[in-house]
This record gives sequence, structure tokens and C-alpha cells, in this order.
Amino acid sequence: MKFPGFVYHRPTSLDEAVELIGRLGGDAKVLAGGQSLLPVMALRLGQPEHLVDISRVSGLDVLAHDDGVVRVGARVTHAQVEDAPMVRRYAPLLADAMPWIAHRTVRNRGTVCGSLAHGDPAAELPAIALALDASLVARSVRGERIIAARDFFEGFLTTSLAPDELLCEVRFPVVAPGTVTLVSEVSRRHGDYAMVGLAASLRLDGAGSIDDVALALFAVGSTAVRATKAEDALRGRTLTPDTIATAVAALREELDPPGDNHASPAYRRHVAGVVLARTLQGFAADAAAISGDAA
Amino acid sequence: MSTNEIGSVSAAVSLTVNGTKVEREVAVRTSLADFLREDLRLTGTHLGCEHGVCGACTVLLDGAAVRSCLMLAVQADGTVVTTIEGLAAPDGTLSPLQQSFMDHHGFQCAFCAPGFILTAQTLIDRGQSLSRDDLRSEISGNLCRCTGYASILDSIEAAITDALGPLIDTSGASK
Amino acid sequence: MRASLVGKLVGSSVTRKEDRRLLIGKGAYVADVVVDGMVHAAFLRSPHPHAEIVRVDVAKARRSPGVVAVYTGEEMKAKTNPFVNFAMLAGLYSPVFWPLATDRVRMVGDPVALVIATSRAQAEDALEHIDVEYRLLRPVGTMAAALSPGSEQLWPKNGSNVVYEHTDTFGDVDAVFASAEHVFTERFSSHRQSNQPMETRGCVAEVTPSELVFHSATQSAHSLRWILAIGTSRAGAVDTLKALKANRVRLKSFGKSAKEFLTANKDELSKNDNAGMIHQVRRDPSTLRHIGRLFSNTLALDARRLPRVVAGDIGGAFGVKGHPSREDVAVCAAAIDLGRSVKWIEDRVEHLTVGGTARDETITMSMAVDNGGHILGMRADLVVDQGAYPAVPFGAPLFTRIMKVMMPGTYRPKAFELRTRVVATNKAHYVAYRGPWANETWARERMLDIVARRLGMSAVEIRLRNMYGPDELPVKMITGPTLDVEMSAKATLERANALADVDVFRTAQAQARESGRLLGVGFATFHEAAPGPPDYADALLPGGGMISSEPIRTVLEADGQVSVFTQQVPHGQSHETTFAQVAADELGVPLEQITVVFGDTNRTPFGLMGTGGSRGGPMAGGGSMFAARDLRKQIIDQAAGLLEAAVDDVEITDGTIHVAGVPARGISFADVAGAVRREGKAELASSVSYDGGRGGWVQATHVCFVEIDADTGMVSIPRYVVVEDCGDLINPAVVDGQIRGGVAQGVGSVLYEKVAYDAEANFQSSTFIDYLIPTATEIPAVEIHHLQTPSDKPANFRGVGEGGMIGAPAAITNAIEDALAHLGVTVTEQYLPPTRILELMGVIARSA
Repeated sequence: MKFPGFVYHRPTSLDEAVELIGRLGGDAKVLAGGQSLLPVMALRLGQPEHLVDISRVSGLDVLAHDDGVVRVGARVTHAQVEDAPMVRRYAPLLADAMPWIAHRTVRNRGTVCGSLAHGDPAAELPAIALALDASLVARSVRGERIIAARDFFEGFLTTSLAPDELLCEVRFPVVAPGTVTLVSEVSRRHGDYAMVGLAASLRLDGAGSIDDVALALFAVGSTAVRATKAEDALRGRTLTPDTIATAVAALREELDPPGDNHASPAYRRHVAGVVLARTLQGFAADAAAISGDAA
Repeated sequence: MSTNEIGSVSAAVSLTVNGTKVEREVAVRTSLADFLREDLRLTGTHLGCEHGVCGACTVLLDGAAVRSCLMLAVQADGTVVTTIEGLAAPDGTLSPLQQSFMDHHGFQCAFCAPGFILTAQTLIDRGQSLSRDDLRSEISGNLCRCTGYASILDSIEAAITDALGPLIDTSGASK
Repeated sequence: MRASLVGKLVGSSVTRKEDRRLLIGKGAYVADVVVDGMVHAAFLRSPHPHAEIVRVDVAKARRSPGVVAVYTGEEMKAKTNPFVNFAMLAGLYSPVFWPLATDRVRMVGDPVALVIATSRAQAEDALEHIDVEYRLLRPVGTMAAALSPGSEQLWPKNGSNVVYEHTDTFGDVDAVFASAEHVFTERFSSHRQSNQPMETRGCVAEVTPSELVFHSATQSAHSLRWILAIGTSRAGAVDTLKALKANRVRLKSFGKSAKEFLTANKDELSKNDNAGMIHQVRRDPSTLRHIGRLFSNTLALDARRLPRVVAGDIGGAFGVKGHPSREDVAVCAAAIDLGRSVKWIEDRVEHLTVGGTARDETITMSMAVDNGGHILGMRADLVVDQGAYPAVPFGAPLFTRIMKVMMPGTYRPKAFELRTRVVATNKAHYVAYRGPWANETWARERMLDIVARRLGMSAVEIRLRNMYGPDELPVKMITGPTLDVEMSAKATLERANALADVDVFRTAQAQARESGRLLGVGFATFHEAAPGPPDYADALLPGGGMISSEPIRTVLEADGQVSVFTQQVPHGQSHETTFAQVAADELGVPLEQITVVFGDTNRTPFGLMGTGGSRGGPMAGGGSMFAARDLRKQIIDQAAGLLEAAVDDVEITDGTIHVAGVPARGISFADVAGAVRREGKAELASSVSYDGGRGGWVQATHVCFVEIDADTGMVSIPRYVVVEDCGDLINPAVVDGQIRGGVAQGVGSVLYEKVAYDAEANFQSSTFIDYLIPTATEIPAVEIHHLQTPSDKPANFRGVGEGGMIGAPAAITNAIEDALAHLGVTVTEQYLPPTRILELMGVIARSA
């Protein structure tokens, strides 16, 4: 299992990188951490003619809280995000996702943008991007384009990134006060891709009614998905057992998950509901504890 | 390669391996693992799966544990790499972690040993407090087929205890 | 830790002699072997489960950069002898097959062509330029398909996909079943699993001017050597005759050894009636031609051209590396053909695809019992899926013979019958995997729980009621072997029962159910022939006793070190330490003074068993004891002369040989060696062939506690207890490590690991993302308690390599059923991933 041959490029400026990718187009793959791309190449499931290594491209290492968003540049690794207190504070759902992503050894090399560009439906980060309505910044010789997460993931390992575009940065909106978040998944073993995963973000107003909710599921379809019906079942309600049951039923209704050797479609549908119920019950218990403390 | 060798099938790399400066010309498709094993004859780094799951090929890259099978040698240009050969003292004295693995019968076939030892070394280097369950989780990216992990956990726990003090006791914690 | 405690090493967890090199990255595994001018091999493998090969075009691959040679199946066939089974069993058809596929492919991954190139990467590149035209055949993807008369035949000469069929009957089964108050029947099925050591298979065929050195990760160097010799000795009839004539001396010496062998094993051989050979030749008369040719080719081989097999450090095996492979022979033949050294290191995808798979079996078991829960009779129908090709030199059919002997366990049915069928399907071949017969324990122990539940008894009660206790020993199992007076299965169960505190658990279980938590406990008791009593081998096979002795040679070296030479090939079992402990204690020297030598067929005594069957401790450990004891006697005889003392007055203390009570009047081992040399005598050495003495059983009870998440079907194991009796422990840490490792693989078997094929035999688990090896977060802590039943056996060691894996699947599945029993669940499958758990519970619908 040796890598197939390719031509290696290591640009140092964004213009140079974008020019290269534009010129090479579909024959080139961008290499950042390589944790998704290199296994595919080792298995010879993909044989790009060119690799454009962006590890020395200046300006892609941004990891900052800036103007209402958390910016994560294309060179930023999972481990850097995991270790940044800023992320925990301003984009807690993103921070929540980190320990679920493979193992630290992989997180030390793998990048957030790389995972998004790979678009694996069982990976955590596409769901996080969907749940947070992240913006993805793509550059090409044609200029810069900002793509909303909901328009980015088109199918299994397929995104709306054009062959000449480089995903330079992802921007996560800063969390609104009073929001609770949780990433939860059920996987065969610790560190495996999920059989079912949920990224949940929820805000209660002063009266305890849900005024904002985002539920993004992963490993239940050809892309990560927002559970819009379950969200609708929650929005404007209080977190009672009845509400939770309604949301769970709505979720199971709207999912049409695939089966594989690790879990059947029925399992995924059922356990998606379990994960949602547990997440919401946890939120409800936290809210009760907080209001209890306040009283 | 940092200058202008754009578009190459082989490249010069310069890195520090176990304290020694190394400069070589490598095919760009060569993995860091194969570079270490074949070009530098540092065969202590093992290849268990070559697709990034088993952890046997783990090395330290600028102090962080990485899978050397999921990295091109050319990507390691300019870095500091530590392999299993780099842990013992020049006179052959085992590192405290290696000694702990010997004392606790940590391994059996030991094919996975380099990956576990280097991963565990980063736990000591990071200096965080861990429980036994944390420890299980931290090493869960490394597969061992022989031991059932108990002896590996014991070995690491003892070395961490020596270096940083006892693990966090969670035995009284409720489920 | 206590390596300098002379004379008390056995029983102590001394640190391992092998560890220093392994911990600093200086181990020498086969992938680390580099020799001058070495080139690299890669195999083109079939993407189809079943197809005829119409055409193989390698022209473009031959022009690919770096390519040295490309061999098609037909080209390789012309340079090799085929694999032919010698262990003929009555009722067994064993196909003749070649290193590479020739006329058809029979499994995904079947090797179709071999590329040799200057680097592995270039060899892999060239594979993409080989063009093969296939004509697809109907695949046989399931056991049911294989048993169906209309299915496509993998081996048309056999006329059926059932390659082995046999029925063994002990006692009057029909009468016992007719008179029983209850008969319960269940069909148990286990799934295809795989050993998956962290190091894959591999070899370097090194061509030197004087010899061919075959570096290999093998569990059995000598058997590999002869398989390679047979496989690569192909020569024309004229050349063979010429060589035979030229080698008259060798022929004569062979004749002499054959005669000796036949005389020595006359009794054993007379038990075999050749029914197996007759069955085989009736189906495929060419078997005789192939045997004749490979036999004469091998005999004609210049002794200097016999491959020398060298095994270094090995990264685990668990049985899979005991089988010489088709790839081994192909690589060796290519190296001979090219006159160049060739390296092949299997990659993980290859290893998962065709490295070896195991345990794909169904056992339909009936138990006849009375109202008191006494087992009166057992009847079982076993079907084993051996995949496309039989393992070399033996595989599934032989393991069914062990299942036959062991299936009644230490219980006392009055009658037992086993019908066995081995079928061929288009899946990877079936190999030995740690306790290859283990499903006899799984099915029996599962069945006992089912029977107990139906009779309203506890799992422990039904076992205690039926198990032979110490007051009944010795006694013969219904299948033949003697349960000797040290057989302590019942004691392990009693102790395990006390440790498990089941009454307390039942209260907790009931309370937990109230709040929706599912807890369960499962017991499993087994015994294992490691090495087994003297009458064990004959119970397996007529003439089975031939293979049971273990050679050990001890030598006093010139520098005073003592070498222990063994045909065992350790691959994680710590033999360098444990055999040294035994020998050091016998000799009265420190551990450092002993070196265990293994792996090199030029240096080690001949033996075909290699390391396997949990024989290392009892057989080679015992052999080391007696060979060291004899060497000590020789050393003392020699020293007595040097010390001018009577032999009886000479003793050895802390590595010094001295007159009793006068430590000052002492000499060293090196002094003795020097004196022997000066006197022109042969070196002091001792060779023993240890037959295992009175042998005996290892036995254990496993207790597994589980908690099942009722919503997700995830199973966790909060507690796991093993009570075992392996006699004297040579090195407790090594023993515990073997047990824990075996349990871990059993956990993997039930909860995580499955070699996946679809119904059409397309392979679906070719990466470690698909085939799930448990990690540190999945494997429970295992409490181990040792019983050591007193014994006067001179070498009271029994093997522990396999037991962990034998007991675990039964204990775990029993615990899972116990947790779900109130829902009316009966567990009859061995593989229970979360989806299946929720299906069994009725939470979700069963998937197609």
C-alpha cells in the first residue's frame, strides 16, 4: 500500500496557490493535513496527478475571534482548535466536536477546512458547520466566494467547491448568550466514525421557551443534514417530556438513513431519536438546575 | 525545497531526527514512515496498516504524536522528528517510560510498542492530570492485538505516576 | 525485576529477556530485513469471488518503470509443485492447487499474477497495467448455498461443495434421546473472524551464492522449509532422475530415515487404514501423479538448495502464521528463478482480504436431559465454511476432529454424536485462530444456559450437577481421552461462583431492571488439551500420536553460557524468558546465563509443530527442564573430575560449580567448557524429545458481567473474572498476559469483529475502518485467579495461549442473554453488534 505517483507543489502565497489550483483544476488535490486524502491515496481509491501542499501558504493559519465570527484558516489543525480557549468561549459547539474526531494523533495533523472540503457524511465537522450556519470562504483566480454551509455539502464526499477553488477559511458565527450546545454520537468504538451523531445548539428565552434551535445529524445520509422538522417541533416550545417526544418522533420521521456493516437503517433511525432525546433531556436538566440555582 | 522546486516528483528534505540533522533527496510519494525505515534505516517505526488506524507508525513531529504513514516525508521538511530509537540514552539506558514497560511486562510481540510508547510520552510531556479512563481514551488510537491493554495501561500509569504524581482517582465516582 | 534470583526463577514474573531490544526499536521483524540487491513483490488479486480466467495480459506491466519480472498463474505453475494435502482424512476431498490462480479465481483476493520490481511502490504501479479478462461464475456466498446441490461447484472433481463429511458416534445416542424427558435443540452460528496480528505476513527470499535464506514471519520454520522445498523443487522427469542418481548417498540416507520412522511409528501408522487417500484419489487421480512428482523432485533437490528458513521477531500471529502460504511459495520460486533476493511484505488490505479467516461455523445442538437437569446425551450437526482453498498443511477438517473430542467438555453425557460437514465457498481460506476448535465450547456452554433456563435451574447449578468432580477422577471422556486426577474444571467453577456472588448480583439485576437498566452475568467452563493426556492424540485421529513430541537441545557453550535450542518460534509468548527460567533453575545459574535460540532451521532441532496449540509452556518448557537437567548432570560429571571430588559431592550454587559445603572450591561453567575442549571431547550437550509425560489439562471458568444500554444496544463489560488452573506458573505475568489477550480477542469476536461478505461473496471489510479491533476503551479489566491443583508431575506446566479466547465468547454471550432473558430472548449468534442487540430486544425491525 504505497502512494501512487504524483507531482508535488508547495506554494507559499495564496495567489500562487490559487493560480496553481486554477491551472491544474481537476487533476490536483489540495494537501493540508492529509488525514483524509492520504488514506484514500494509500488505498489507491484516488490518484490525483498533482498535490498542492498548502502548509506553507501564508495567511491560512488564522484562528481568531473577529467581528462576530470565529475564523478558522485552512492550515489550522483540529488540535489547535481543541487547545484554543477562544473557541470554547465563542464557538462551544465546535469545541465540543473536537474530542469526537478520531484520535489526538490524527487531530494533530488533520485540519478543520480539510474535513469540511472532504465532506464525509459521517464526520463531525460538516454537521457543526451546518448547525452553526457557518460560512465557507473559497478563493480562485476568479475571486473570492462565500458559501453558506447549507449550500456547501452536495452529496457523498461531494461539495459545491469548484475544481479551481481553494477552501481558505471557515467562519463560525459567535454563539449567542444563553445558548447550550452538545455534540453526541454513538459509534462502534471510541474514535470511530459515528453510527449516528448529533450536533445540537439550543437557546431558551427568559420564559424557558426555545427561541432558537439547530439540530444537525451526521452518519444518517449522504451528507450531514439539518433536522428541520424536529427543529420546528421544538421552536417556541418549552423543554417538556412531551415536547421532547414530539421532536424525537419528528426526527425519526424525517430521516432516511442508510445501512452498512456497522448499523442498519432502522438502528440509525431509532438511535438518532435516542441521541436527540438524551441531548434534550440533558439541556432540560441543565436549565432546571440553572433556574433552581437562580431561585 | 522551500525555495522554488515547484512541481517536483522528488525533493530535498532537511529535518532533525532523534537530534541528528538529516538531509536527503526523496521521492515525493514516499511516506514519512518509509523514509524513516528505508532511507534512514530507523526500522523501529512499524507499519501496521498504512491507512492511519492502528497507530504502530506513530512518531513525534515537533513534539506532537502523528501517524508517519499518513504523512509524506516532504511534509516533514524543516521539522524535528523523534522515533522510538530516540528515547533511550546514548549509553542504552532505557527512558523511564521504556523501563516501566519492561517492569510491567507491557508488551508481548511488541510490534505496536513504538506507537504506544511515543503516544504515552506525549501524555507525560503534556503534564495533564488524567484518570485511568482518560488514559484508556488517550491511547485508544493505538491497537494492540496481544495484551488486552491492561499491561500497557499499567506501564503508562506507573510512568506517569513517577513523573507527575498519581492518576486522578475516579473509582468512587458514580456511573 | 528479580532476574538474579538463582534457583527460584520459575514462578516469578521476571522481566523479559526479549524486551530491551523491542523497547528501543531494535527488534528485527521481517519487514526490517534488507539484503543486497533485493527487489520487491506485489500480487495482482482477483476483484471477483468466482470467475474463470480467460486471458491475462502482462505486456504493459512488464514495461512499467522498475519492473524486473511479471509471472502469470500459468508461468508460476510451470515453476512450482502444487499444494497437496498429506493429512488425508476418511471422507475428505482436498483439492490440488497452485501458488497463483490458473484457470479460475475462487475468492476476492485470489492471487492472479506476481510483479517483481525495484520498489514495492513500482510493483504496485505495475499491477494497474495488468489486464485480466474474467468470465464470471455464480459465486457460492453462504453456507446454505454451498450445501445446496444446485450450487456452482468450486472444485468440480469433488462433485459437491461439501469437501468433508463424517459422523462420529459414542454410546447409544438414539436410545438415550428416545428415553429422555426433555430434548432441547438450538442452531448456533458464529461468523467469520480473523486473527489480524499487528504485523502482517511477509518474507524475504534471500539468494546468496551458497544458499537460499528465507526470512519469514512464521510460527513454524521447519514446516515452512519443507513446504518451500516441495513447492519450488519442480523439475523435469529426466533432470529429476539424473539428480536422484547423482544423489545416491542422500537417497540412501532418506531410505534409512524413512525406515526408522516407519519402525518407530509402526503402531501409530497401523491405525490408519488409508481410507482418506482412497477417497481422495477416487475423486482426483492426478493427486497421485502430483505426489509422485513433488516427492521425487524434493528428494532430488540438492541438500544445499533446501531453503534455510530464518524467523526473527514476529509481530503476533495467533495461528495465521502457522500456515505456509501460496505467496511464500510464489515469492521463493520467483527468487530462485531470477537469482535475486525478493521481499514481500503483505499490506493490511491483503491481510484482511486473504491473510486468513476463521470460525465461520454453525452447530445445531440437541441435549437430552432429565427433569433433574442431568445431561443424558448430546447430538450436534456441525458445518464449517472453509472458504475457497484448504489451509496448508491442515485446516478446518482437522480442527473439526478436535471439536469432536472436546465438545462434551467435562460433563458426563452417556451418548454423543457429531455429524461434521466442511464446505467450500468463495471466501478467504479458513485458518487456525487461537483455539481453532473453540466453538465446541461456545455452543455447549450456550446450550447449557438455555437448558437451565428452560428447566428453571441456574447456570451454575446445571454445570455443577453434570461436571465430573475430583472424586470421580480419573475417568475417560466419552470421546476417549482421560480426565486425570488433576482435572479441576469443577474447582474453577466453584471458585468462580464464589467470586461472582451471584445472589447479590441477582438483587442488583432486579433493581436495575426496574429503572430500565439491563445487567447480566454469564459463566463458561472449559478444559483444553494443552498438551492433553497421553491418550488424547489417538482420540483425535488414528495415528495422531506421531506428532506429539517436542525436541529441545541444550548446549554448554565455550564461554560458559548455556544455549537452549527450540523448534518453537515465539511471536509474543516470551519463550526467550520462560524457557530460560526453567533451564536456569535446573542448572542453578542466573537467567542471564541462558540464551534461547529459535527460528533458524540450520540451528534449531527439527520439528513440524512450531509454536501453536498452547504447547510452548508444557512441551518446550518441559523439554527445557529435562534437557537442562541432563546437561547439568554432564557438567557435574566433568566438574567432579576437575574438582577431584565425587560426583555426589558436587553442587551448583549461583552459577558456580563447587564441592558441597565448600564454595571456595569452585569452578565456573566456562572452566568446564574449556576443560572439555582441551580434552578434545565433544561439547557438552543434551537433546531430548519430550513426549509431554503424563500431560494433562488446563481448565478455566470465565465469568462475564455485562450492562446493555437498552436504547442503543451498546454492551459494556463492567467486570470480568477468570479462574484458571494451568498447573505451575513459569512466569505469572506472562500467563496473565496470555489470558488477558485471549479474552480481549473473545470480546472482539462477540462485539466488534466480523469479516464481512455480501451474499454473493463480495468482500466488504478490507480496512481497519471496517474490521474493528477493540481498543483500550473496549476491553475490560480482567481479574485472574489461579488455582494450582497439587501434582507430582515432574514438569507440571500446561498451556495458556488459547484458553482466554476459548472461554470468552461463551461467557460474554451467556451474559448478554442473561441480561435480555426477561424479554424472551435466546442468543444463538456469536456476533452481537448494537444493531443485532436492538433487533433481539424487539426495539427495531430485523434488517434484511
